[in-house]
Amino acid sequence: MMSPSSQQRSRRRGGDFRLGLAFVIPVIIIMGGLVLFPLLSTMVDSVYRINPMRPGTPFAGLGNYIDLFQDPNVRQSWLNTIYYVVLAVILETVGGLAAALLLNKIKHGRRWLLAAVVLPWCLPPVVNAVVWLWIYNPSYGLLNHILQSVGLTSAPVVFFNNRYAALFLVTIVHVWRMMPLTAIILLASLQSIPQDLYQAAKLDGAGPIKSFRMITLPLIASGLAIALSQSTVFAFNLFDEAWILNGASLDTRTVIIQTYMYAFQNMKFSMGMALSLLAMLASLLISLLYVLKVYRETRFD
Amino acid sequence: MKKYINILMATAALLSVGLASAAHADDAKPLAGQHLAVLLPPWGTLPKEMTDSFTAKTGIILDTQTLGWDDIHTKIVTSTVANTAPGDATEVDWSWVGQFGASKWYQPLDSLVSAEAVADVPTSKIFIYDGKLLAVPYNNDFRVLIYNKTQLSKAGINTPPTTPDELLKDAKAIKDAKIADYPIGLPLSATEGSSTAWYLLTKAFGGDLFDQDFKPLFTDPSSGGYKALAFEIRALKDGLIDPSMTGLKDVEVQELFKGGKISFDVAGWAGNLAVYADATKSQVSNDVAAALMPSTTGKPRTIGLPEAIGIPTAASNTKAAAAFINFWLEPETQIGSYKTLGNMPPRLSVLKQLNDQGSLKDGDVLLKQAAAVEPLFAQGTPGWYPEFSSAVAAAINQAAKGQLTVDQAVQQIADAAKTASQN
Repeated sequence: MMSPSSQQRSRRRGGDFRLGLAFVIPVIIIMGGLVLFPLLSTMVDSVYRINPMRPGTPFAGLGNYIDLFQDPNVRQSWLNTIYYVVLAVILETVGGLAAALLLNKIKHGRRWLLAAVVLPWCLPPVVNAVVWLWIYNPSYGLLNHILQSVGLTSAPVVFFNNRYAALFLVTIVHVWRMMPLTAIILLASLQSIPQDLYQAAKLDGAGPIKSFRMITLPLIASGLAIALSQSTVFAFNLFDEAWILNGASLDTRTVIIQTYMYAFQNMKFSMGMALSLLAMLASLLISLLYVLKVYRETRFD
Repeated sequence: MKKYINILMATAALLSVGLASAAHADDAKPLAGQHLAVLLPPWGTLPKEMTDSFTAKTGIILDTQTLGWDDIHTKIVTSTVANTAPGDATEVDWSWVGQFGASKWYQPLDSLVSAEAVADVPTSKIFIYDGKLLAVPYNNDFRVLIYNKTQLSKAGINTPPTTPDELLKDAKAIKDAKIADYPIGLPLSATEGSSTAWYLLTKAFGGDLFDQDFKPLFTDPSSGGYKALAFEIRALKDGLIDPSMTGLKDVEVQELFKGGKISFDVAGWAGNLAVYADATKSQVSNDVAAALMPSTTGKPRTIGLPEAIGIPTAASNTKAAAAFINFWLEPETQIGSYKTLGNMPPRLSVLKQLNDQGSLKDGDVLLKQAAAVEPLFAQGTPGWYPEFSSAVAAAINQAAKGQLTVDQAVQQIADAAKTASQN
């Protein structure tokens, strides 16, 4: 037989459990309905043939995935995407860290400067891309004007006629838009570092580079992992910039553009689903690598 | 008292007449008060005075949504897959007929629209799938050679070119005379406009894309398609086409023509003549002229790429949508659409009427070219057309950038056609 006090504890635990459940249920419903269910449904549909132009939805097994690996356009779009991811992650991380360090040093007017830095991130991606489309325009674009003014080129250059230049220029637009987010994440991490650590390091004779390496970097590692993960995921999902700047051109086509073309242009939905799953898997795996590495390196126990 | 009785009787009489006429009006406008959701591109969106006249005539209230052409296709696909209608009446491009016909996403219109009016629209055949009319054309987009006659005459050329070789020769003369840096306007980007320009030139070189069994006819160097692509690349290499065309869509090429930057809009939309000749929209309004498409065979061939309005199967207001389509078929609507939006009337009788009135810019040329309009696919547009066309645009774009030779490009297109038609 339970004593009155243990009954009370048990009731309280039951009440806590119900309260916890009440808090969690909305999240479970939202995540389940908007993430988990669509994900499972996409996984199932990717092994069937879903094409409204053809009758029935027969089981295709891994046929859609095999077709994807045999499609040269898919291979090209993967190569382009890998290029975007590598370059964008490097540029966003280095640039974002530099911007965050600079902002962290500034004492007066930091919020105004922060607002200015954040601006490209606040703009809709389409607007950003259209602005850069004007900048890159061979006839009236600012970039050609500058290059000619400083004597680097004698005639207007059609930048997008060179595959690597086109890939680089699309990446720049993406970096321009996403770097502020990296900067904000890293700035938040920087501001959480206690200043007395730097003072102690200074007393021990550590210079700015050593302090950065021994104090700043390890202590912003978790923020860095988040920044790297988001950079990777967004670079994998690159669509607007490449689509607006160069349409469906194979030179700059990303995996997500290829997915869009499969699903919404060619109405081969199951192929689109299979490719989108592969893209998701790739970005998740790379993000997982960052997180695990940082987790290992920042454990102090 | 008698006076009051008379007044009462007169009031009653007036009321009864009023009520009767109101009832009659309701009979004449059975769809009055209904809302009709319409989804069309900018050039299909009628000006307010015309939609007001539709509302006055039918009592239907229009909710028009204007979207870019590409976006409309995406919206139709996403909405329909989600079991909702993208609109009660929407754009149906000729190139979507195979997809929407096979997927049964659009209602047959045979019993809903005026058969007599449809018979007056030759291009309506392009919208027949499996014997059923899926959509009714609202414009008559066939291609014609549009040129800047002032620039030609400055270069000492008095007649427009009649063959592709003459076109190159004239363009060279214009360039040499420093009248235009790049006289030929042809899109070479990875967009639909580049594909359609190549299809047109394939016909100009006396060729066709496929045989009856959809076997590619453009891989042989003596074929029209091969020569057409070689023509484009040669013109580009000779400096007659702006290198930046690799990034321009057809509508951007048209802007260059309007600004007097190019002398030839080779794949010109017939309806655009009205826009080019409008001084408020174009800087070359006094210089523009149309000519029959150059041809190697002496027969000025061209393709019809009309756009139409259809009713999605999931549409909730079919009758009002049919009324809207019938409104578009009326001669006054087609004339208004031509004058305000540059849509060439799809009804032959309206085209002739406009020409007789002298309202059709270079009407004789247009009527002659209209008589030579061919569908791109005599067998009907296949469902895999968008996939094929996208591969065509990508290959042209690569060839223009020097990444593929003409041989490789046509082979790549042929492979893409095979893959697209098999899956």
